[in-house]
Amino acid sequence: MTAQTHPHVTHDLRLAARQGLLPARGSGWLGGFNNMFAKELGEWFRTRRWWGRILIWPALINGVPGLFRALKQIPPEIPDILYYFQISVIAGTIGMIIMAQDEIIQEKQSGTAAWILSKPAARRAFILTKLLSDIIGALAFIVVLPGLITLVQTYLTTHQLVPLLPFLAGAGVVMLALIFYLSLVILLGVLFESRGPVLAIAFGVMIGGMFCASSLPQVGYVLPMSMDKISLMVALEQPLPAADVSQLISVAVLSIVFTLVALWRFQNKEF
Amino acid sequence: MDSPNSLVIETQNLSKTYKEAQALSGLNLTVKQNSIFGFLGPNGAGKSTTIKLLLGLIKPSQGRATVFGHDVQRDSVEVRKRIGYLAQDPRYYEHMTARQIIGYTARFFYRGPKELLEARVQEVIELVGLEDKADRPVRGFSGGERQRLGIAQAQVNYPDLLILDEPAAALDPMGRHDVLEVMEKLRKYTTIFYSTHILEDVQRVSDTVAILNRGMLIAEAPINQLLQGNGGSVMYTITLKSGVETAITEAQDRVTGQPWVQHLSMAAQDGQIDWQVSVTDDAAAEDLLLRLILEDRNLKVKHFGRKAYNLEDVFLEMIGKENSK
Repeated sequence: MTAQTHPHVTHDLRLAARQGLLPARGSGWLGGFNNMFAKELGEWFRTRRWWGRILIWPALINGVPGLFRALKQIPPEIPDILYYFQISVIAGTIGMIIMAQDEIIQEKQSGTAAWILSKPAARRAFILTKLLSDIIGALAFIVVLPGLITLVQTYLTTHQLVPLLPFLAGAGVVMLALIFYLSLVILLGVLFESRGPVLAIAFGVMIGGMFCASSLPQVGYVLPMSMDKISLMVALEQPLPAADVSQLISVAVLSIVFTLVALWRFQNKEF
Repeated sequence: MDSPNSLVIETQNLSKTYKEAQALSGLNLTVKQNSIFGFLGPNGAGKSTTIKLLLGLIKPSQGRATVFGHDVQRDSVEVRKRIGYLAQDPRYYEHMTARQIIGYTARFFYRGPKELLEARVQEVIELVGLEDKADRPVRGFSGGERQRLGIAQAQVNYPDLLILDEPAAALDPMGRHDVLEVMEKLRKYTTIFYSTHILEDVQRVSDTVAILNRGMLIAEAPINQLLQGNGGSVMYTITLKSGVETAITEAQDRVTGQPWVQHLSMAAQDGQIDWQVSVTDDAAAEDLLLRLILEDRNLKVKHFGRKAYNLEDVFLEMIGKENSK
């Protein structure tokens, strides 16, 4: 290694570095937020994976039913939005769990979390930037893009416009289901040191809940067991039974609780 | 603005316990501004634990620490704004290039025109000689290159306090030499607190040293003071030509009879006798010791000198004493 600086570099480095540069914004619990948020968003939108995502999610959510419809496997009276809400909730949940399971664990295991937290980065900002960037990424690739394609598909097949506000409300329910699993996986990533328990518990809630739904319908009051059905009903402006309303409220509250517990536990984590 | 003699780090009874294991016990440490403070100790002594406590990466079980007068737990983010840190085994996002890593680090501290930030990044890249590797992903970097990158990212904010955890441990002799040179260059800008077990490096660049063993501070002193002797005593070495046994015995009695002589050990080999005399009053010894020996004209002194300790002697002696307790 050479300790020589380049000839054009000024000798008074301290002054030179500070000339024209301002202290970064954000202190206290927001310390480092902007920088980490930009980096996390970049992982969604500024890497080559951007292209993969823009192809995979519409192919899965819009392409598969479109293919079956083209092969006359789906009766023409079943609307495209049915598949949009069903697949985006189920496939989106699986995708979200797989994508988010590494967010915290990987950073803890590789030592990058300790590196970041040795900089003026607040722990709460560290968790929130992961959560918010994943919400924006999921919103863009899993909800909005396939949703737009669904609207176009529906218009092309039925020559009728889908009522936009109810459709957006339905898409909001899809997003809520994804946020539930995202916040759960982030919390599990904070609590555990390996991927196994994170995946097991997250998929356990998803799949176990599905099995329980018939034998133990009370589960449906609390866990997101029928968010695909609820999102479709909301989009079709159908009245929701009390159990579904309860499910919506519970899922929203649990998402907030998971996030708050993750923030609290991460605050006390040692690296 | 801190005054030149102000304390950068101050710990009071700082302790850390992991389940049953006491990693750090009642550490009281003070580090002055613009010093190069060497933090010494064998593996597991508590050096990295102390550093992690200062950075707020772990919480103390007892006691407190301040950096620039800020409590490291309560004002952790504010403290870290003024610190540059190189971990013992630095880890980065492997897919990022060195330039991206340093740029990302810089944006935790600065905002402003992109070209100014990029210029700063380029400066530190040049400082550590990573120009030809700057745009390659760090996953392909060797240990030495990672260490250079570590120093670059630790230095990007011109920290008022640079904390380096074993900065030269993974480097070859040339790399070590360069790291020490960079540290010496940075002395006028910053305070450097670094842990190491390479005693030679400490003796070369540090002005103050603390020795830690089994989580406890066993010495903290300016390096010159530490090298003068251990526990306030000074050692003199004397080589006598052997032959007149009675004269040697009498001289030994004269010397050990002095109140400032703590201990005299003797070893005979190759026709000469080596004495090691440990004294508590250096001035008295300098004035009287040789005279006392030469009172008998039959004695021939081949060598007389004050023992120059090196840090390894001091370190091993202190650690040995502590471990035998």
